[in-house]
Amino acid sequence: MTEIKIEMKSISKVFETDDVETHALKDVDIVIRAGEYVSIAGPSGCGKSTLLSLLGLLDMASSGTYSIEGLDVSDLSLDEAAAIRNEKIGFVFQSFNLIDEISVFDNVALPLSYKKDLPTDEFIKERVETCLKMVEMSHRADHKPNQLSGGQQQRIAIARALVADPAILLVDEPTGNLDSQSGDTVMAVLAELNKNGTTICMVTHDARYADMANIQLKLLDGQIVKQEDLKVAV
Amino acid sequence: MRKLILRQKQAWASLKKKPGFMLTVILTMGITLGALLCAITLNYLLLVEPMPYPEQERLFVAEHRLSGAEKETKGVAFTYPGLVHLYKSKEAFERASMLIYGGDVIISHSSQPLVNTAYVTPEFHQILSSPLALGRMFEDSEAIDTNNPVAMLSYDTWQQEYNGSADILEQKINLSGVSYRVVGVLAKNFVEPELGAIGRKTQVWIPFDYNQTGEGARQSFGNISGALNFMGHLKHGVSSSQAVQLLTPLVNDRWIEGVAEIDFFKGWSIDIRVRSVKEVILGESESIAVMLLAGVLGLVLIACANISNLFMSRTAEKQRQMAIQAAIGATKNHLFKAMFAETGLLMFMSIIVALILSQIGFYIMQQYLGAILPRVNELGLNAITFGAAVLVTVVFAMFFAKLSTRMINYRVLNTTLQSSGKGSGLQVSKKTRKILIASQVALATVLVFANFSLLKDAVKTINAPIGFSTENISTLILNFSSTNFPTQEEAIPIMNEIMEKLEALPQVDSLSQSGSPLDGFNVRALTNLANNERYTPFFKGIDHNYFDMIEQPMLQGDNFTLADRKDGANLMIVNQAFAKQLKADGDVLGMQISTGRPEPLKIVGIVKDIAIPGATPIGSNVASAGVPRAYVPNGLGGQTFMLKTKPGQTVSREQLGALLAEVDARYSVFSFNAASDILTQSLFAEITTATTTAVLASLVFLLAGIGLYGILSYGTQLRRFELGARMAIGATRKHLISLIIGDNTKAVLAGFAGSIVLFALAYIGLSDYIQPLLSWQVLPMIVATLILIILVTLFACYWPLRQYINQPAIYSLRAND
Repeated sequence: MTEIKIEMKSISKVFETDDVETHALKDVDIVIRAGEYVSIAGPSGCGKSTLLSLLGLLDMASSGTYSIEGLDVSDLSLDEAAAIRNEKIGFVFQSFNLIDEISVFDNVALPLSYKKDLPTDEFIKERVETCLKMVEMSHRADHKPNQLSGGQQQRIAIARALVADPAILLVDEPTGNLDSQSGDTVMAVLAELNKNGTTICMVTHDARYADMANIQLKLLDGQIVKQEDLKVAV
Repeated sequence: MRKLILRQKQAWASLKKKPGFMLTVILTMGITLGALLCAITLNYLLLVEPMPYPEQERLFVAEHRLSGAEKETKGVAFTYPGLVHLYKSKEAFERASMLIYGGDVIISHSSQPLVNTAYVTPEFHQILSSPLALGRMFEDSEAIDTNNPVAMLSYDTWQQEYNGSADILEQKINLSGVSYRVVGVLAKNFVEPELGAIGRKTQVWIPFDYNQTGEGARQSFGNISGALNFMGHLKHGVSSSQAVQLLTPLVNDRWIEGVAEIDFFKGWSIDIRVRSVKEVILGESESIAVMLLAGVLGLVLIACANISNLFMSRTAEKQRQMAIQAAIGATKNHLFKAMFAETGLLMFMSIIVALILSQIGFYIMQQYLGAILPRVNELGLNAITFGAAVLVTVVFAMFFAKLSTRMINYRVLNTTLQSSGKGSGLQVSKKTRKILIASQVALATVLVFANFSLLKDAVKTINAPIGFSTENISTLILNFSSTNFPTQEEAIPIMNEIMEKLEALPQVDSLSQSGSPLDGFNVRALTNLANNERYTPFFKGIDHNYFDMIEQPMLQGDNFTLADRKDGANLMIVNQAFAKQLKADGDVLGMQISTGRPEPLKIVGIVKDIAIPGATPIGSNVASAGVPRAYVPNGLGGQTFMLKTKPGQTVSREQLGALLAEVDARYSVFSFNAASDILTQSLFAEITTATTTAVLASLVFLLAGIGLYGILSYGTQLRRFELGARMAIGATRKHLISLIIGDNTKAVLAGFAGSIVLFALAYIGLSDYIQPLLSWQVLPMIVATLILIILVTLFACYWPLRQYINQPAIYSLRAND
C-alpha cells in the first residue's frame, strides 16, 4: 500500500460575516498518497481555493480532522502551523508571490532560513542549485524576480516550493497569470516533477491542465461531487 | 477660471469622502502652522520691526558700569548725582532724558490703588513723540528744578481708575501727600520702551523733581540704583563708540572726585556703555524668540513628514482613479493640477485654523509671557502674519502636490487598467520610506532631547529648596501720605500701636517688622577690618523675629534681640556663603566688619544659606554659587512687616487699611502680597519654560510617534502579501517581527546618526546654549531619549504587523491572491 501523504476527514469550513454563515466546504474527505498528482477543479466560488488553504494550513477548518504523513494537524497554533508548512508543504501561488527585493537564489533559499535548525551554507547552496536546475532556471540565480517573465517567475516559485523537500506540492492556478506558452512550460515542469516522484495537489479551472493529473476531484458548492481515477500512479 | 473652480469642486468632493484624512491634515498642519505663524510674527517684531519711535537710529541708552580694581564688573547702575551730572553735561547727546522708576499709592482715589510711577524730565516723551489722547506732555515748565506738580496718566489708568472721565484734565491726584494736576493722558497706541523690566507698564508719569530718592542718596556717589535711567538722541554724526569715548572720562572723573574720601572704592572706576534702545529692550529675548522659532520649525518639519506620508498613501490609494483619468486623456500636468487643487484646499483650511490659533497664541503670550518677552503687547495678526500664511500655504500645497505626483509613473499608470493589478500597486519606494523614517527619528531625537534638557533644568529650579518658609506669610508695606515724614522718634510709637493692633487680629499668628527675603536685599560695601578686604554682599535690616518666622536656621551664634534693635547695636549676622568668603573655614564669629561708619559691626551669628530664584552673587552670573548675605538689626520705626496668619485664615487689604486709618490716617497700605505669590512670580520664567517645554515635548513626541507609526504602518501594509508569502513558506511570527524590526533598524540608526549631525550643526550656530549641555550629566537624558524613541519605533513596528501575523496566513494572502 502506498504511503498516505494527506488525509482529510469530514472537513468543513464556515465563514461568518455579519450574522451570515457561508459554508465554503461541507464534509470533504480527501486522501492523497505518495506520488499522486491530484487536480481540484470546479466553477468559481465552489471552494477550490479554500480547500487548498486548508490543505496548506494557511487556514484552519471549522470541523473535521486532517493529518499530514500521519501527523494530526487539525488543531495547531499559528506558529506550529508555520513550522509544519515549512517542513512538509511546498506552495506555488497563482501570482508567484516572489519577493522582488531579493535575488532568485535568495527567494528559493528563503524556506530553508525558516527551518528550526538552520542548514549549513553549503547545504543551502547545493539544495537551491538543485532546485533551480530542476526547473531549468540555474542561469537566472542572480537576477531579481521582476527581471524575469511570468513563466520564469512561476518556475522560480516552484523551485522555492521544492527546496525544503516537502511531503506535497500545493499548486494554486499555476497558469492563471501566464500566457498559454508559458503555462504549458510550467505544467510540463510540474508533470516532470510528478514523474520523478513529487506528490502534487493542484487547483485549476483549466480542463486541459486538470486532465494532466492522475486523480481529478471536482468541487461544487463546497462538496466533492466526482472523483475519477484516470491513471495509475507511477 | 471655470476650470479652476471645477477642479476645486472635484477636489472638495474627493476630500469629503475621506473626512478622517482631511481632519488629520487640517489639525496637524493647522496646529503646527499656527505655532509657526506666532513664532514668525514674534521674531519679526523683535528682530526686524523698528521700534515705534522717531529717529530711533540715534535713540540710545547710556549705562553706568562700575568696575572693581581688577576691572571686574561690580554693577551696572547709576548713582543719582552721576546721572544728574551726565544729564546736565549735554555731551554726546543732542537731547537726553532722565527716568526713575518707582511705585506709589494714589491716596486721593477711593480704592487707593498702588500704581507704577515713572519720574521723567520733559525730554522723555518729546524724544519718543508720545501720542496723546488728551492734554499735553511735560514741557519746559516741568524741567528739572522747576518743582511743578503735574502728572500724565497712561490710557489704561485713565480708563480703569477714572472710567475714562472726560474732565480728567481738571482733576488732581495725590501721591505721597503731593497733589498733582493731570495735564495729559497718553494715547492707547503709545508703546512704552521697557527699559526697567519687561512687561512693566508705567501708570502715572510725574516730573523728575518728585522722584522718591532720599536726600542722602541724591548726594552720594557711593549708592547705585537700578531704577535710574538715561536715554536720548545722540548728536548727528556721533556714533555709540564715540559717545562712550566722550562720556566715560566725563563721568568717571566726577565719580572718582565724589568717592575720593571713601577707601572702599579705591581703584574702582566707571565706564559708560551706550546701547541702542532696541538692544536694551531686547536683552536676551532675541535668543528666546529664535529658540522658540527653531523649536516650532522642528515641529513643522515633523508634521510635514507625517503629512507627506499621508499624501503618499493617498496617492497610492487614488491610483485607479488616476489611471482612469489618464486613460481618458488626462496629462501628467492635469494630474498635478488636480492634486494641487486638493493640497491647496487642505492647506487653505489648515491656514485658516492656523490664523485662528495664532491669534489665540498672541493672547496667551500677552497674558503669560509679558514678563519674559518685550513688546508682546504689539503682537497681533499683521501683514507679516498674513504674508507668511500665504507663503506657507502656497509652499506646502506645492510641496505636497509635487511629492504626490512624483510617485506617479505616468507610463505605468497608463497600463494599470490593462494589467491584472497583482503586485503592480503604486508604492512609495523603499528608499523614500527609509529616508522618512530616518528623518523622523533624527528630528524627534533632537527635539525630545532638547525639550527634556530644558524641562529638567526648569523643574530642577522650581523644585529647588529655597531654604526658608513662605507658608501663610505675607508682606505688608505701608504708605505715608504726607511730605512731612515723621522722625524715627515720632514713628516708633505709631508703629508699635500698628503692630499691637496687627497682632491682635484673630487671623494673625505672628508678626515681624521686616520685609520678606523675597522683597529684595540691598547691596552694601563692607570691609573686613582684619585684612582690609572689600566685599559687596546682599544686605538686609531685620528684626528679632525674622529668622524664626521664615524658619531660616541659625547655625552658630545668637539672633538679635529687641534690646539690640532699641540700642542700635552694631551687630551683624552673616550666612554661610558670606562666612566662607570672609574666612575659608567659615569661623567668623566675633569678626569686625566696617560699613564705612566709625563703629564696625561685630558678627554674632551665622545662618544657613537661602536660595532665592534668580539671585546670583554681585559680579557673577552663576546661580549655583552661594549668594553672600549679611543681616543687621533694623530700627523700630520701619514700615515693612511680615504677617504670618493662622492656617486657613486670611487678612484683606481693606481690613488692613481700616486698621491703619484707626491708628493714623496718614498711613495706608502700599502693598500686601503673599510670600508664596511672590515666590511663584519669581519662578515665573521657569514655570513658563517648564510648561512650554512640557507641552512642546509632548507635542513633539506625539507627532513623532504618529509619524513613525504612519510610515512604518504604511511600509508594513505594502508588504502584506510578502508577509503572507513568507508565512506560507513557514515563517513564524517571531521570524516576521524580527524581519520588520531588522529592516527598520538601519533607518532608525541612520536617524540617530542624523540627530548627532543636527546637534553638531546646532553646536556651530548655538554653541553658547549647547556648551553647558556637554557633560556627563546629560547621559541619562540621552539614554532616556533613545529609549523613548526606540520604544515608539518598536511599537510602530509591531502594532501594524499584529493584524497580519496573528491571523492565519490566508488573510494576508487573500487581497493579493
